[in-house]
Amino acid sequence: MIRELGALTRRELLRLARNPQAIGTSLLLPILYLLLFGQALNFERLIPSNIPGFSPLAFVRGAPSYFSYFAAGMTGFVAVTATLFIGANVIFDRLFGILKRVSSTPATASSIFGARLLAGLIQPIGLAFLVLGLSVVLGDAGLSGLAITAPFSLLGWAEIVLAIVILSVMFASLFLAIGFSIEQPQSYFAVVNTINLPVLLTSAALFPWGTMPGWFRSLTSFNPITLAVTVLRENLFQGASAYYPFGPGIYLLGLLAWAAAVTSIAVLLARRALAPRR
Amino acid sequence: MAATSPSPASGSIVAEDLAKTYGGNVRAVDGISFEVRPGEIFGFLGPNGAGKTTTVSILTAGLGATSGRAFVDGLDVVRHPLAVKRRIGIVFQEMTSDGDLTGRENIELAAHLYGVPRAEVRSRCEALMARMQIGEAADRLAKTYSGGMRRRLELAAGIVHAPSILFLDEPTLGLDPQGRAGFWKFVEELRHEHRMTVFVTTHYLEEADGMCERIAIIDHGKIVAHGTPGELKDRLGGDIVTVQPTAPSPALEALLRSLPGATSVQGLDGSYRVKSPSGEKLVPALVEACVHGGIGLASVSVKRPSLDEVFLEFTGREFREDEGASATDRAVMLSRVRDQLGRRR
Repeated sequence: MIRELGALTRRELLRLARNPQAIGTSLLLPILYLLLFGQALNFERLIPSNIPGFSPLAFVRGAPSYFSYFAAGMTGFVAVTATLFIGANVIFDRLFGILKRVSSTPATASSIFGARLLAGLIQPIGLAFLVLGLSVVLGDAGLSGLAITAPFSLLGWAEIVLAIVILSVMFASLFLAIGFSIEQPQSYFAVVNTINLPVLLTSAALFPWGTMPGWFRSLTSFNPITLAVTVLRENLFQGASAYYPFGPGIYLLGLLAWAAAVTSIAVLLARRALAPRR
Repeated sequence: MAATSPSPASGSIVAEDLAKTYGGNVRAVDGISFEVRPGEIFGFLGPNGAGKTTTVSILTAGLGATSGRAFVDGLDVVRHPLAVKRRIGIVFQEMTSDGDLTGRENIELAAHLYGVPRAEVRSRCEALMARMQIGEAADRLAKTYSGGMRRRLELAAGIVHAPSILFLDEPTLGLDPQGRAGFWKFVEELRHEHRMTVFVTTHYLEEADGMCERIAIIDHGKIVAHGTPGELKDRLGGDIVTVQPTAPSPALEALLRSLPGATSVQGLDGSYRVKSPSGEKLVPALVEACVHGGIGLASVSVKRPSLDEVFLEFTGREFREDEGASATDRAVMLSRVRDQLGRRR
């Protein structure tokens, strides 16, 4: 199985490397988000800071600024959006007969799924760290930027990396499962868009905590993007942990549970799709 | 033709009362039984939608049968699908190689997936590419290959693991005669060298006639005839003389039946097919009798027994040669529709 996994992953990587347009476009999107959306949408400017009882730190849960809060959220958001089209490749491979060829070999469904997942993680993880790095650079350039106020901690950064990886695995698995289950590209894009928007909007990735009604805060608490970006925020901003009920380890565990459940279901769906048809 | 051996020989293919029903009422394969002997080339002929691709899909562990059993290389395809896949090679009717990989990368990928020993992957790929005459294009993307090259690439990817059984599903569809001849040359060489069993479905009857040791004709999911090409043609009882009158004539059929040497007469769309051990000898008597009887003749033709005639004899329909070219898209579409139907069920 390891050999099949390696061969199929190599195939995915070769195809990715031969498609510089796709790589360029995927790099452009987060840059545009940070430069346009991030610079223009500044909640701090929208809300007067002299309101009695208003705490700017509570507003963005311990982040030094809204942009810093936003940059951590955007990191999680980009990891998710970079996985959106991973399932479309499965559909195109089916339409072009390639999946039929691979399925006719002794390659197991798990290795066919695993190879796509492994190769598909490169973009979301790479783009997530690009967003983090670029956000810091923007601050250094005098624009709104990410200020990392927490002292460097190996454990903290390990948790950050883990959160991004697990979040990417979960959403890549989800969209792969949809790709294995749906036959028409149009249907795939419709389903993915239907999932993407509510998942993003019910997360605490972009909206400041202080503007959310109570019921919405409860809803966002269980969102996997919220769990991942909370791990980032607690580790990036000094004192942020005081604004969260749990430490980053708990959020990481919650995210892991999400990923385990979604990936297990996705593997089952892929196996079903690749099994001899009845 | 039913073969119910309890332990089918290695290298053989055995189907026992195999059936596949879609949606509860569409019987794509309707209780077929046959045996392919080790090392032979077996042709599976039939028009579009006859059940050829469905049969291949079942035998290659890509589709479950509704009932019946199938053994490939001595293994039950339902109980041992992965082991079956390891022992067989497949060339599909559509292109299945990855156009965004080079020819070499496509063959190497297949070699790894089939478990070819690592140390042999490179040398086997080189040898196959040279043999298939794609060596010079080995490092070009497969999407830039011509149709013939792409077909040879499909064959190389299907045999890189030296399978004991090779399934070819309409392998030469869309190729020009030269490309088809070249493809069959490779298959014939490989079979001799590796004692490979070859199961082939094809539209081209002359290919089946020339290449296959035995043939089964499938129509509406049922096998309607089987045997060697010679046996099947012998069953026709000699030459076929086709008589086309200038106008419908009720007397013509009786006249034809009375001719010495006419063993049977069959009406078909206003014309008549007369079987005779010697067509050339029948024609002068036939023409003379028509002149005497005042029956005008538009045309008279004599055909030696061919698989086209065999097909017509057993199915009641003509298997037109020109069907192949126009059927390319239809065959691929049908296969995809079948795939999608199968997946939804």
